[in-house]
Amino acid sequence: MAKHMISLTINGDTYDLVVSDTQTLLDVIRGDIGLKGTKRGCTTGACGVCTINDSKGRAILSCMTHVLEWDCESITTIEGLESNGELDAIQRAFIEYGAVQCGSCTPGVIMSAKALLNAHPQPTEEQINEAMSGVLCRCTGHVKVKEAIRNAHRIREASSHAATD
Amino acid sequence: MLLPDHQYLTVDSLSDCLKALRENGERAQVVAGGTDVIFNMRLKLFEPDVALSIRRVAELQQVEELPDGGLRIGAGCRLVDLVEHPLVNERYPAFADAVRAVASAHIRNIATLGGNICLKTRCWYTNNSEQWRQGVKECFKTDGELCHVIKSSSLCHAINNADTPLPLITLGAVLTLQNADQRREVPIAEFYRKDGMDHTVLAPDELVTHVTLPPVADRTVFLKIAARQGMDFSQAAIAARAAGTGADAPQVSLVLGSISMAPIQLDQPARTVEAQGLSDEAIEQAVAQVRAELGELTSLYARASYKSHLAKVLVRRALKALREM
Ligand SMILES: Cc1cc2nc3c(=O)[nH]c(=O)nc-3n(C[C@H](O)[C@H](O)[C@H](O)COP(=O)(O)OP(=O)(O)OC[C@H]3O[C@@H](n4cnc5c(N)ncnc54)[C@H](O)[C@@H]3O)c2cc1C
Repeated sequence: MAKHMISLTINGDTYDLVVSDTQTLLDVIRGDIGLKGTKRGCTTGACGVCTINDSKGRAILSCMTHVLEWDCESITTIEGLESNGELDAIQRAFIEYGAVQCGSCTPGVIMSAKALLNAHPQPTEEQINEAMSGVLCRCTGHVKVKEAIRNAHRIREASSHAATD
Repeated sequence: MLLPDHQYLTVDSLSDCLKALRENGERAQVVAGGTDVIFNMRLKLFEPDVALSIRRVAELQQVEELPDGGLRIGAGCRLVDLVEHPLVNERYPAFADAVRAVASAHIRNIATLGGNICLKTRCWYTNNSEQWRQGVKECFKTDGELCHVIKSSSLCHAINNADTPLPLITLGAVLTLQNADQRREVPIAEFYRKDGMDHTVLAPDELVTHVTLPPVADRTVFLKIAARQGMDFSQAAIAARAAGTGADAPQVSLVLGSISMAPIQLDQPARTVEAQGLSDEAIEQAVAQVRAELGELTSLYARASYKSHLAKVLVRRALKALREM
């Protein structure tokens, strides 16, 4: 099988990788790079646990795309949300509102929520429903997930005030 | 489930793409967003030697305003870009609704219009893994000689589940199909075939390059019923269009999807409301004429009997919605 050199930036770090024709983006994130936060679920697009963000901050299913499409691209995975040891506002909101139970869908759910908040920092109910329809959480029933998303804005503002105080 | 072995080829221009398609013919599989191709590869329904990616072909990704007030949309446009496009929403609201109804936001972020138009047919048998299928006899799609969906049939009865072709048919959209030598224009109403195996008139060396929408001032609507709104394939969907205002509807078109191997353009029900207007009585008369035009029904994401019920419900809802517009 032919091998190809690609360059992929993940969470700000650029990797030069040797990949094969049949690898998906998910295979490389988990297998080659070893970032295991992004989960492998149904691998057919229905569950959303493999969600990452592309360079525009949009939610992408990493299991449904050949890695060769991502040469010279930049992506963010769940590991890339914290900075300087501090969790992102959406992660803190998930903790505060108990939007996590078994945790296996959580990286995909958070990366989907992050993509939504990138586009709409204070989303409407309809925007939340639309953005979160591509991920499944079988524990929380999405109620607490939605509460966390609605309040991420407040948590972000509280922490930016604390930082300037 | 790993992807079957194949060569992944990326092209940057339309001419390179058409050349590669000509060279690789039936051994190649075009990949646009890949959301359907990868699904089919994982189920070992597609095992191409070459996967030909058109994602970097910029020529296929433009939305062009036409002098007549229509739009020419590149087949490589992502669904998300169409959902967010002001002219698409303003001029073709029912089409925009259908685009928004495809899968989830995640999938629309990468899936394309061309991929939706060319979406392969599905059935309850081939929607299972290779191992599962091997426990049962092979079907037409897996090199066998029968259709599990309708056992006595000599045709594959897999269903065309795509949402966007329905409004495109009512709007009179025309597809541009191109191979290395020539290009032809095919109205999307004539693009689909009633055969789950060979479900479009597209030749193996051809690509859908553009969708041309004429200007349309009529009332239009798109409705979809799925198990979960905002993710699932349609159990049934409808696009409808009417000229005139209020109950007066001199020209009507009704197209049902996710019912059969191809979208169904209803004839008699449309003629009934054209002649009698959109009164409750005329609508009920049209609804009573729907079943006769559906042909054999099969189960996918909903039982066949329920699909027949949904078809009638959708015709009623669509006609009433048009009346209120
Ligand atoms: C979980 C899930 C839910 C889904 N829900 C829906 C839904 O609700 N409604 C719906 O309609 N679809 C749905 N889909 C199917 C699919 O995601 C969409 O139809 C999507 O628009 C396909 O576009 P794509 O660019 O990803 O296609 P691809 O996978 O790239 O291609 C699909 C097919 O079209 C061919 N093709 C692509 N572009 C061209 C072209 N320009 N010329 C010729 N052939 C071409 C490919 O060779 C392939 O056979 C769903 C898929 C998943 C995984």
